[in-house]
Amino acid sequence: MADIEGEAVDFEAEEDDLMDEEVQEDERAHIPRLKSAIAGGAAPKKTKGRGFREEAHVDDRNARLSGRFDSLDSHGGPGPERSIEGWIILVTGVHEEAQEDDLHNEFGEFGEIKNLHLNLDRRTGFVKGYALIEYESFEEAQKAINAMDGGELLTQLINVDWAFSKGPIRRKRGGSPRSNRSRSPRRRY
Amino acid sequence: MADANSSDEFYLRYYVGHKGKFGHEFLEFEFRPDGKLRYANNSNYKNDTMIRKEVFLSPSVIKECRRIVSDSEIMKEDDNSWPEPDRVGRQELEIVIGNEHISFTTSKIGSLMDVQTSKDPEGLRIFYYLVQDLKCFVFSLISLHFKIKPI
Repeated sequence: MADIEGEAVDFEAEEDDLMDEEVQEDERAHIPRLKSAIAGGAAPKKTKGRGFREEAHVDDRNARLSGRFDSLDSHGGPGPERSIEGWIILVTGVHEEAQEDDLHNEFGEFGEIKNLHLNLDRRTGFVKGYALIEYESFEEAQKAINAMDGGELLTQLINVDWAFSKGPIRRKRGGSPRSNRSRSPRRRY
Repeated sequence: MADANSSDEFYLRYYVGHKGKFGHEFLEFEFRPDGKLRYANNSNYKNDTMIRKEVFLSPSVIKECRRIVSDSEIMKEDDNSWPEPDRVGRQELEIVIGNEHISFTTSKIGSLMDVQTSKDPEGLRIFYYLVQDLKCFVFSLISLHFKIKPI
């Protein structure tokens, strides 16, 4: 923690950015060029936060996220994706007082549960509302989805679906052009 | 509500990191509009391995992530009076839901004490817990899919 030379320079750059913002109106237009991945929508965005004024960090961020990411061998296409040791399903609408036993009882009948994550809300300590369940085989997971999706657990309606997918979500509104990068509200009407 | 239409655009990115003795150490993840979850964890301490993983999520998982975000009401907050990023570290939370786009930055938050002594304890508390809930969600997804310990 003592040896932090170089970092100071990095953060001082922010101050400059703030000043530049006042002077160079042109620069503003592409300050929120946060990521081409999110530039698709046609509607102007209401923006808020200091992150829009810290252009020095944008290049940093793009560099971090532009490298190669490992993934399991996937052939694209639709349908669920296998995880390294089995098939994972997501249960939503889980009652905040549910116990792991409740899920084991309901979901154990479709096959042996290899893993169960029933995460808690960090503020309240109650169940956050979802569970992730791993089965060894596709068929077990599929049976659980078919039988339990739209069903009831502890008086609450639950939804059950695959957690992972082989390929991207198909968006209804067609392929949005990624070239439209500017989201500056003042340039829209 | 901003999230009424679940086909609205959704994007989320969280970063926490610092540059120090062991180089640039950080944790970052993003949920992209096409359903791709990316996760990067770079710790140079002892072993200098960089973990970078990505996987496509089902629409249900994205929907649950959106629910967690909208339940938190983070989009109503503002980082104006939050502690600024400093030498100890930096956090960034960027979210797009529909036509709202936030990009908040602040310092690392060690504990709730830091939250309570800040100028905007209500807002910062929402940020603090949301980040923990999101991390928890992402760690579960990544560790179940790849069988690695994310931390």
